[in-house]
Amino acid sequence: MSDQYLGEFEQLVLLAVVRLSDGAYGVPIRREIEKRTDRKVTVGALYSTLDRLEAKGYVSSWFADPTAERGGRSRRYFRIEPLGTEALALAKDMFDRMWKGVRLA
Amino acid sequence: MRRLVPGREGEIIAGDLREEFETRGGGRFWYWREVLSCLAVRLSPHRLTAPDLRQDLHYAVRVLRRNPGYTLTAMVCLALGIGVNSTVFTMVDELFWEPLQVPQSDRVMVIGRSGEESTCSYRDYQELERRVAAPGGRLFSGLLAYDNVPISLDVEGTSQIVMGEAVSANFADILQLPAQAGRWFRPEDEQPGSDPVAVLSDGAWTRRFGRSMSAIGKRVRIETQWYRVVGIAPPGFLGVSPPHAMEIWIPLTSQPYAKELLANPGERERPRVLVIGRLADGTGMRTAEAALQSVDAQIRREFPRDTASTGALTLAVTAGASMPAVREVATPISIMLLSVTGIVLLIACVNVANLLLSRSAVRRREMAVRQALGASRWRLVRQTLAEGIVLAAGGVALGLFFGLGASRLLARSLPALPHVGMVVLDLNVNWREAIFAAVAGLASAVLFTLSPAIEHSRPDLTSSLKGEGAGGRRLRQRDVYVIVQVALSLTLLIVATLLVRAMQHAQGLDPGFAMDHRLAARIYVSEPEYTEESGKLFLARLLDTVRAAPGVRSATLSYTTPLSFSDSVCTSTTPDVRPRRASSDVVVPGYFDTMAIPILHGRQFAPTDQPGSPPVLIVNQTFAARNWPNEDPLGKTLWLGCDTKEPRTMAQVVGVARDAKYESLDEAPRKFIYRPLAQSWVGFVAVIVETSGAPAEFTAPLRALLHRLDSDLRVYEIETLEQYASQSLWKVRWQATLLAVFGGLAMLLAAVGLYGVVAYSVAQRTREIGVRLAMGAQRTDVLWMVLARGLGLTAVGIGAGLVLSAGVTRLLATLLYGISPLDPVAFGVASLGWMAVAMLASYVPARRAMKVDPVVALRWE
Repeated sequence: MSDQYLGEFEQLVLLAVVRLSDGAYGVPIRREIEKRTDRKVTVGALYSTLDRLEAKGYVSSWFADPTAERGGRSRRYFRIEPLGTEALALAKDMFDRMWKGVRLA
Repeated sequence: MRRLVPGREGEIIAGDLREEFETRGGGRFWYWREVLSCLAVRLSPHRLTAPDLRQDLHYAVRVLRRNPGYTLTAMVCLALGIGVNSTVFTMVDELFWEPLQVPQSDRVMVIGRSGEESTCSYRDYQELERRVAAPGGRLFSGLLAYDNVPISLDVEGTSQIVMGEAVSANFADILQLPAQAGRWFRPEDEQPGSDPVAVLSDGAWTRRFGRSMSAIGKRVRIETQWYRVVGIAPPGFLGVSPPHAMEIWIPLTSQPYAKELLANPGERERPRVLVIGRLADGTGMRTAEAALQSVDAQIRREFPRDTASTGALTLAVTAGASMPAVREVATPISIMLLSVTGIVLLIACVNVANLLLSRSAVRRREMAVRQALGASRWRLVRQTLAEGIVLAAGGVALGLFFGLGASRLLARSLPALPHVGMVVLDLNVNWREAIFAAVAGLASAVLFTLSPAIEHSRPDLTSSLKGEGAGGRRLRQRDVYVIVQVALSLTLLIVATLLVRAMQHAQGLDPGFAMDHRLAARIYVSEPEYTEESGKLFLARLLDTVRAAPGVRSATLSYTTPLSFSDSVCTSTTPDVRPRRASSDVVVPGYFDTMAIPILHGRQFAPTDQPGSPPVLIVNQTFAARNWPNEDPLGKTLWLGCDTKEPRTMAQVVGVARDAKYESLDEAPRKFIYRPLAQSWVGFVAVIVETSGAPAEFTAPLRALLHRLDSDLRVYEIETLEQYASQSLWKVRWQATLLAVFGGLAMLLAAVGLYGVVAYSVAQRTREIGVRLAMGAQRTDVLWMVLARGLGLTAVGIGAGLVLSAGVTRLLATLLYGISPLDPVAFGVASLGWMAVAMLASYVPARRAMKVDPVVALRWE
């Protein structure tokens, strides 16, 4: 259980990858999180989290062909792996259990 | 970016940033923040530190906490070194690198002319601005002209000389600086016949009006003219002429002399101004510079003139002091201070290295055990480095704290600079200083851990494990350290002593006039209250009254104040040759008596020298000797006037005065001429009074006397001539004070180092000393043995220091007012001083050695 625990930001990143499905690479992931959570995400934080998630086997990534709009540089696309899905589900369950019966003021 | 984040990952991130940059146009700032975020993640402890390095740091902290005395000593040494460095760095930073406090200051360019004081004339500025900032060829969003001038400012009855900037009306628009109350200038403020208006600085508003809104609309007087206050500059804005702090801004065209010059369409060369421009969006600096130069050349072709400026226009980002003159004075001082404090830091680092070395001796066994158990050499080096880094971090933190305190102390205790409105150290720790301190700390950590780390990493396993004493090599290394410390700190001490001696010597120099029992009050008699005629009558009445006052021996008037500033005029011996500048003063009959300047030939000015009578002047020896070598200067004719187009006036030499010092005590003999006040009227004069009692005590009576004569008379500073003289020595006093402080600090640090080495050797030799005592050695023999070691090291250090100093002091020759750079007194005093300190530093451990109990010492092993 403990090694499957997801940090809050990790959850946000994973969810963004899921939401974007085929279009998940750096720029839209960042925009998705910024748009929905209203918080600033720096490139450095994003990639270090994605790298961590990949190391744990929650996501996988591949490189697309270079495009001109990126100055001839390629994109790195991300896709959620079964392990990642499982971790997300566990995290959601955990929160649901904690919220059950809680009423704020 | 690509260099910071290597490989494929860098590619991807760069691509992302590029893509987003295109769509959102975030600006440079955004881009760099993003790049930094990648770096920050990379450098964060979690990523960077392999678990064992974290362990190293952890272990280092534990070791250091177990030895608080050692840790504290090392950190305080470092903190002192880093503290003085960051203080001096702040100062230098302010002079050279601090950007103007305006929006997007990196687009604000100071436009200078190589090799010249001012950029161009006001008319050329207008032409330049019209061509390069015109909506068609948008290179600049605008150019502004300014000039900084000491201004006599009268606000509600108090008179003071402050710094102000006379500026073009677009000043605040181009700097993008809103007024905090009221408004800045408008184009109509520049129109001929408009009501003169002024903007006050936040400081001036606070000091003179208590931040009351009623200040707006108030009238203040500058020189002869009244100005209406229309606005208050934003807080913290001190103008565009650092290190001077401005108190007031006025439109350049509102000044009477500028008005007069600009009313004459033939005048293209004056008034002179400095120029600042804001680059238009998308214009590169080099493009703008090239374009400016070609426009400038065009203007010079279209409006040819005799005294053409020859330098090319240059562009530079406004940072620090923009005026070349200020930079010229500040550069050598800054270099000297930075090297001196660098030496202090070096000495501090050597101390810490020494401490680590002695600890390494103690920990040889531990290191040997670790190595025997399989630790790699790199691992051991890293352990020492980790300790060094922890020490350095503590040192930097403490040092910044010290630095802040030291800056405050320095700002308060340093002798004031003589320049009006000079901001001495507006000392806030800024990020540049913090970075500087961190880099200095890191560099020193590497410096002082390197040699102990290497030492640690190759212990001789067998002997170390047996716990045997130290080998000879390490001791020799420590000895070299001490010798270097002594030599360096002695050099600083010698330089400081030399400067102090030079200062004393300069104070005793003969200025060529009498200073004692004399004081000067600066007054301003001007229109509209006084015309030239009524002003002269008033000054005559003033002189009579002052001369009749009790305690007054004599009194006179002079335009300049000795040893503070002097005026200059153009002279030529015939009306058709090119005029040359000579310093000058305007005085009244009796001036030479009051100042005790002998007239060598001819006569003084007399009451008969009046506007109607033939113009006369008195020259000094140097003037006479340069213009008429081997001739009698009396009766010679001089032509006065700088303008080659206008007719010059003629005057006859009636006397030759002995040479004196005019602007500063260290100046070379200069040409000087005196003119009578009756024939060349000035209303801004110094009343110089010779008193029978102490001159300072006459300040209040003199002020009261002047007030009785005219209650509205503008009276500025009243100071004794000795005060003026001592102010003129500010440079040497400044340097002497700072160096004495730093030299003392260096000596203290080096003495700690010496003490450490001697104490360590005593600790190492406890057994040997015990054996000696047991064998019947006298305790005084032991005392001398230890003392001799400390003093021997010091002697070698002093020898090296003397040689080093002999090389270094030569560079100071221009600051020494004639004292020899090899002045034996300074060298002797400093060396003896060091010897005494060395005695003390070695005596303490020597006493401890003397008290060694042979029984205990032998059993201890």
